[in-house]
Amino acid sequence: MPARVLSFVFTSTLLALAAFASAAPVSFEEVRVILEGKCLECHNPDKTKGKLLMTSREAFLKGGESGTTLVAGDPVKSELLKRLNLPKDHEDIMPPKGGPLPAAEIDVLRRWVAEGATWTAGVTLVAKNKAKEEALADLKQKLPTLEKLEIFPESINLETKRDFHRLVVFATFKDATTRDVTAFANLRMSDEKVAKFDGYSVHAVADSGKTEVVAELGGQTARAPVAVKDGQKDRAISFRLDVMPVFLRATCNSGGCHGAARGKDGFRLSLFGMDPDGDYIRLTREMIGRRINLAIPEESAMVEKTTGAVPHSGNKLYDADSQYNKAILEWIANGAKDDPADIAKVTGIEVFPKQIVLEGKESTQQITVRATYSDGTDRDVTKLALFMSNNDPVAAISKDGVVKSAERGAAFMLARFNVFSVTAQVVVIPKGLVYERPKTAEVNYIDKAVNERLHRLRIVPSGVCTDEEFVRRVYIDVVGLYPKPEELKAFLEDKRPDKRPLLVEGLLQRKEFTELWVMKWAELLQIRSGINAGNNAPPFYKNALLYYNWLAAEIGKNVPINQIVIDLLSASGGTVSVPAVNYYQGELDRLKISENIAQVFMGMRLQCAQCHNHPFDRWTMNDYYGFNAFFAQIGRKNTDDPQEVIVFNSKGGETQHFLTKKNVKPKFLGGEEPELKPGEDRRRVMAEWLASPRNPFFARNIANLIWAHFVGVGVVDPVDDVRVSNPPSNLELLDELAQHLTDYKYDVRKLVRDITASAAYQRSTKTNDTNAGDKLNFARAQVRRVRAEVLLDAISQITETPNKFQGLPVGARAVQIADGAVSNYFLTTFGRSKRESVASTEVKTDPNLSQALHLMNGDAVNDRIRRGQVVEKMITAGKKDDEIIRELFLRVFGRLPSGVEMKSVTDAIATEPTNRQVVLEDAFWALMNSKEFYFNH
Amino acid sequence: MKLHKHCQGNHPDTLSGLSRRDFLQVGMIGTMGFSLSHMLRLQAAEMPKVEAYAAMADSVIHIYLPGGMAQHESWDPKPFASPDYRGPYTPIKTSIPGEYVGEKFVNIAKIMNKLTIVRSMTHGEAAHERGTHNMFTGYRPSPAIKFPSYGSIISHEQGSRNNLPPYVVVPSQTIPDQGTGYMSSAFGPFALGSDPADKGFAVRDLQGPKDVTTQRFDRRRSMLAAVDEHFRTTEKSDAIGAMDSFQQAAYGLVSSAKAREAFDLSKESDKVRDEYGRNTAGQRFLLARRLVEAGVRMVSVTFGGWDHHSNIKSAFDGQAPNFDQAFARLITDLQDRGMLKRTLVLVSSEFGRTPKINGTNGRDHWPRVFSVAMAGGGMKEGYIHGASDALGGEPDRDAVGPEDLAKTMYRVLGINAEKRIVSDGGRPVDIVNGGRIMTDWLA
Repeated sequence: MPARVLSFVFTSTLLALAAFASAAPVSFEEVRVILEGKCLECHNPDKTKGKLLMTSREAFLKGGESGTTLVAGDPVKSELLKRLNLPKDHEDIMPPKGGPLPAAEIDVLRRWVAEGATWTAGVTLVAKNKAKEEALADLKQKLPTLEKLEIFPESINLETKRDFHRLVVFATFKDATTRDVTAFANLRMSDEKVAKFDGYSVHAVADSGKTEVVAELGGQTARAPVAVKDGQKDRAISFRLDVMPVFLRATCNSGGCHGAARGKDGFRLSLFGMDPDGDYIRLTREMIGRRINLAIPEESAMVEKTTGAVPHSGNKLYDADSQYNKAILEWIANGAKDDPADIAKVTGIEVFPKQIVLEGKESTQQITVRATYSDGTDRDVTKLALFMSNNDPVAAISKDGVVKSAERGAAFMLARFNVFSVTAQVVVIPKGLVYERPKTAEVNYIDKAVNERLHRLRIVPSGVCTDEEFVRRVYIDVVGLYPKPEELKAFLEDKRPDKRPLLVEGLLQRKEFTELWVMKWAELLQIRSGINAGNNAPPFYKNALLYYNWLAAEIGKNVPINQIVIDLLSASGGTVSVPAVNYYQGELDRLKISENIAQVFMGMRLQCAQCHNHPFDRWTMNDYYGFNAFFAQIGRKNTDDPQEVIVFNSKGGETQHFLTKKNVKPKFLGGEEPELKPGEDRRRVMAEWLASPRNPFFARNIANLIWAHFVGVGVVDPVDDVRVSNPPSNLELLDELAQHLTDYKYDVRKLVRDITASAAYQRSTKTNDTNAGDKLNFARAQVRRVRAEVLLDAISQITETPNKFQGLPVGARAVQIADGAVSNYFLTTFGRSKRESVASTEVKTDPNLSQALHLMNGDAVNDRIRRGQVVEKMITAGKKDDEIIRELFLRVFGRLPSGVEMKSVTDAIATEPTNRQVVLEDAFWALMNSKEFYFNH
Repeated sequence: MKLHKHCQGNHPDTLSGLSRRDFLQVGMIGTMGFSLSHMLRLQAAEMPKVEAYAAMADSVIHIYLPGGMAQHESWDPKPFASPDYRGPYTPIKTSIPGEYVGEKFVNIAKIMNKLTIVRSMTHGEAAHERGTHNMFTGYRPSPAIKFPSYGSIISHEQGSRNNLPPYVVVPSQTIPDQGTGYMSSAFGPFALGSDPADKGFAVRDLQGPKDVTTQRFDRRRSMLAAVDEHFRTTEKSDAIGAMDSFQQAAYGLVSSAKAREAFDLSKESDKVRDEYGRNTAGQRFLLARRLVEAGVRMVSVTFGGWDHHSNIKSAFDGQAPNFDQAFARLITDLQDRGMLKRTLVLVSSEFGRTPKINGTNGRDHWPRVFSVAMAGGGMKEGYIHGASDALGGEPDRDAVGPEDLAKTMYRVLGINAEKRIVSDGGRPVDIVNGGRIMTDWLA
C-alpha cells in the first residue's frame, strides 16, 4: 500500500476514535450483524474473494491475498481497518460497492479488533445479502410446515488431514417439497476439538475421536455423527486417486480430445481413464521433461496447457490455484511417482440427497458425491465428479453440483466419477400451485406406484375410458384383433360390474393372445431366413420355420418365459433336430451374441464397453469380456445336410480382454464370477443365472417389455436402453411389476391381467391442463398407431377378404408369419420388423407418404372393399342405409356414428339414390382411410 | 461447445459448466415428458434468428455410391505413382489441362470442365455406417442423438413444391441415414419402392383406381373429412399430425397429373433413355432429373456397390462405365435444359480407399482423404479444390470435412446451416455444427 494512503488511514482512524470513544465492550452480535450484512457476501466459501474467508475467527486470522486482515488487539496492523477507511473512490476500498461503511459501524469493528476480536465459540458466519434475506423470509413462511430436517451425508468419516465432507442440510415439508437449508440452519459441531467447519465442509481437528454435527431449524434438530481416524496424519498424493480424476473432470480424456484413439495433438490418454497404467507411461515416459518437468513443476506442459499459461487447443481448463492444478503440481513435486500396487480402488459412489422436489423457478439444491474405496475409506468427490442433467429445461446442474429448477417436470441428475454413474431425481413443481390430490382409483399395486408419482409431480390423471374405447383397446392389445360388431355389442350390453376383467380373462384364453407374443418374441430372437437372397445360404427357411414352431409350441404350452429362455440359450444339438439351437446360427459373431443377449433379455446395450468403459453406464470392459466369456466355448459342426448344423459345448476356448489381451474369467453381468467345473457348459450356467431372480435385470426387462406393449411407452424407454443415465420414469412401478412377474413364476398372463385391470391402463386419452404434455408418467392413455401385422389382419377381417402369405394357408393372419424375411408391400410399408437386428426400433409405426398413397389408391382398401362385397351383401340382405352405416362404423371404428357423421353419408346417398352401393362403399373407403382406424386410443 | 477450430471434439468448457453438446451426448432423446410444450415454447422464444441467404439453386441430386469408391480409380488418379499405388488402370486426360481422371471415366473426362472436384475430403470414420452417417448428415455419429439427413432438413426448411414430395429416395431407402433422425417422420423421404431400371417400372399407388372418377374421389374425400373430424379434433399426437400431412401430400400428388408424370419414365424418349444407359445408373439418374425438373427439392440416388476389397479392376470394369455414361449425360442434359445453374449435383461416397493396392488386388477403407464431385447449382465450372498427397493417402492442402460440405450445400439452397432446429426433448440442434461455407467453390 502506498505511503500516501497509509497516512490517510491513520488520520481517519484517529478521527473516528475521537468521535466515538465510548466505554462498553463490543458484543460479538453487533460485529456479526455488520460482517454478515456487508462482508460475507464476497468472503464466503462459495466466492472467497481475495482468497479471504470471514466465516470463522480462524479463517479471518489466516487472512487472504493482501496479508494480515485481522490482527487481534491491533487495529492499526489489521488490513481490515485500513481498507474500511479508504476514500470512497479508492479502488481498494471495502466494501467495494456501497462503501465506505457508516462511521459508527467502522468504529464497532475497530473496537472489536482492539478488544481482541472475540468470537462466540462454534459460530459460523453466513452472508446476509438481499437475495438471501428474501429467501430467508420465504423460508420462514414455509417453516411451519416443516416435516423433516436431515443432514447429508448421514454420517461423516474423516480419515486423514486431507479428508473433508461437504454437508447439506435438507428440509422436507408437508407438501412433499424439499429445500436446501444449509445456509439457514444453525449448524454447529458439538466438540470442536475433534472436528471443525470450514465453510460447510467438515475437517478433522483431533487425530481420532467422535463428535456430531447438529443442525437446527424451525424447532427441529438433525444430527450426524462424525468419526475421526488418523485426523492428523497426511496421506500421500496418488496418481490414480488424485490425478486421474482431474483428467475425467476436466474432460482431458474424453473421446473428442486426448481420449480419442489417436489422441489429440500428439498426446493420448486412455478414454475416460480406463487404462491408468498406460496413461502413467504416456505422461512420464513419452517426451521426457516436457509433459512433466520434475525440476520446475509449474513449467510442465500438463500444467501450463491446462491453466492457460500457454496456448492449448482445448483452452484453459481451470485456474492455476484450483484444487485440480494443486493436485497435479503436488504429484509432480513429489516426483510424479506411480502408485504402489495395492493402491485403493474406488468401489462405488453415492449422491446426496437422492430425491429432490423443488418448488418454483430458480430454486437451488447442492448435490454432493461421496466415493467409497476398497481400503474402507470414503471421500467427498463433489468437486471431481461430472454432473449432467437429462432434462435441462426442467432442472440444470452446475459443474459443482448445484441444481437449479426451471420448468415444471421431472429430471435426473447424473453424477459420474471413476467408472461409476449414479443419479438423483429432481421434480420441479410450480410455486403456489393450487393442487389437491385427486381421489384417483387405486385398483392394484400399479396404480399405487403411478398415483404416488403423479402426486409428486402434481399431475392430475385423465378419467376412465368409455366401454367402447376399452373393448377396442383390449382387443387390439391383448389379442391383436379389432372387435367384431357382435363382440362389441355383447360387451356393451353386458351389465355385470366386473365385465372389464371378465372380457380380458376371455381374451387371455384365446390362441390369438399366444400368437401375438410368439410374434413379439420371434422379433427379439430374430427368427428369419435368408429367403430373399435365394435361400441357398443359411439361415434356411426350414430352420426358421422349425425354430418358430418350437417357440410357438413353448409359448402355447404356457411354459414360463424364464424356462423358455434357459432352454433356448443352453440348447445343444442340430439346427433341424433341436430347433432352439438356431439362436446361435442367426448370429455367428461371438461378441454380437453376448451383446444381443444383454440387449434382449436385460435391456442393456453393452456395445460401448467392447472398446472402452461405458461413459454413461456402469459397464466396464471387464464386465463386457467377463460376460462374453460365457460364449467362448460354442462349438459348431457341419453335417451332410447343410440345413443341419450341430451346435455343441466345445469345452475349450477363452475370451481375451481387448486391452490387456489376457483371458477373462466368466462373470455374470452385474453379478459374481461363478464356480465352473472343467467342461461345464458355460452357456447353461449363464442362462440359469440370466433367467432367475438372481439377475435383477431379467424380470424388470420382461415386465417392462410387457408394460410397454400395453401402454405404448416403457417405464424405461426405449425398452432396450436400460442405463444409469436413462433411468426408469417410475422406479417403484418397475420394481413392483418385476416383483410380481417373479412371484407369478414368470407367467405373462398374470401380469397382463394386472396391467389391464389397472386404472393407469384404463385411462382416457383425453388430456387436462396438467397432463397434456405428459408421456412418461402414465397420466393418460397414449394414442398409438397399430402395428403393421395387426392392421393388415384388421383390414382383412373388416373387408372379409382373406390374406395369403408364403408358407401359410389362405386366411392365415399376418401375425402368424413365421419368417421375418416373408413380407408383402403393405407390411413393409407400414413398418413390419425385418428381424435383422434385436433393436426395439425394428418395428416402425411412423407414418410416411407411401402409406398414405397405398391406403388411398392401393389394393389394401379399394380393391378389398369390392372383393369382399360387404356392402353388397348387406344390401342384398335388405338392410337400410342407416343400418348399414352403423354396421360399417362398428366394424371400422368400433363405435356408432355421431349425428353429423351419419348425415354426411346419408346426404351423399341422397344426391345419388340410384347409386346407393357405390356411395356406401365410398363411405366404407373413407372410414378405412381415417386416422381413427389406424390408431389405438 | 467448440472452443478451437481444430478441436473436433465436443469440448465442454469447464469454466462455465457443461455445454449443450455434452448434454446431448448423455443421450436423452425423449426425456421426461413435458417435451412438446417445451418444444413449442423454445421454438417460439429462444431460437435466435439467423441471416437469410438467397438461394443459388432450387434442388439437389445427391448421387451416393455406397461402399466407398476408390479415389485413385475415379476422381483423383495418381498417374505418376508406382503401379502398387496407381492401381490397375492408366489415368486419362480431361478437358481441364493437366488434370486426370480414372480410365473408365471417358465421358466424364470430356465434361470435367463443368465440374467442381474436391480432392481433399477427409474424416475419421473407417466403418461403413459411420462414414455414411457423416456424408448424409454432416455430423459425426452420436450414440445419443440421431441426426436428420440432408433431405429431411431440406423438407423441414423448404417444404413441398408443385404438389410433389420435397424429398425422394431412388430407388428406396436402403440407408438408415437417409431418414429423419430426431425430426418428425413427416419430413421423411418418399421411396419409389421399385427400381427405375426394372422393366415396366411404375411407382405404386400414384393414381386412383380406374373405377374411381374425379367426382367419386371428391365424394370420398369429403366423407373422409367428415368422419375424420371427430378423431382429429379430440386426439393429439405427433403421429396423427404426420399422418395428416402425408394424407395432404397424397391428395396433392393424386390431383396433379403433372406431378405424377414426374415419376413416369415412359414419357422420356427411347433415345434419351438409351443415352443415359439402360441400366440402374442411367435410369435412376434420368428419373432424378425428371423429379427435380418437376419440383422435387432433394433426390437421393444410390448406385452400385463400391466396397472393393478385392479385384478392384473387375469391379470397376463392371459398373464404372455405367456410372460414367449416366453421370456425364445427366450433366449435359441438365445443361441443355437450362437447369444446371439451378440444380446442384453432388456425387459422394462414405470414404475413399487405401492408397496402396492390397494382397487381394483391392483397396481397403480409407477416410483420411477422398474425393467428392459436384456440378451446377452455383458451383464453379472446371474447378479442383484441394489435393491429396503424392500417393493419395492424406490431404496435401485445403482439407475439407463433411460439415464443410454440408454447410456449403445448404448455403447453395439458401439454407443457413447455423439455424437451430428443436429436437425431441426440447433441445435446439444446429443444422450443421461448425463447418465453413466453401466460398472458393462458388462461381
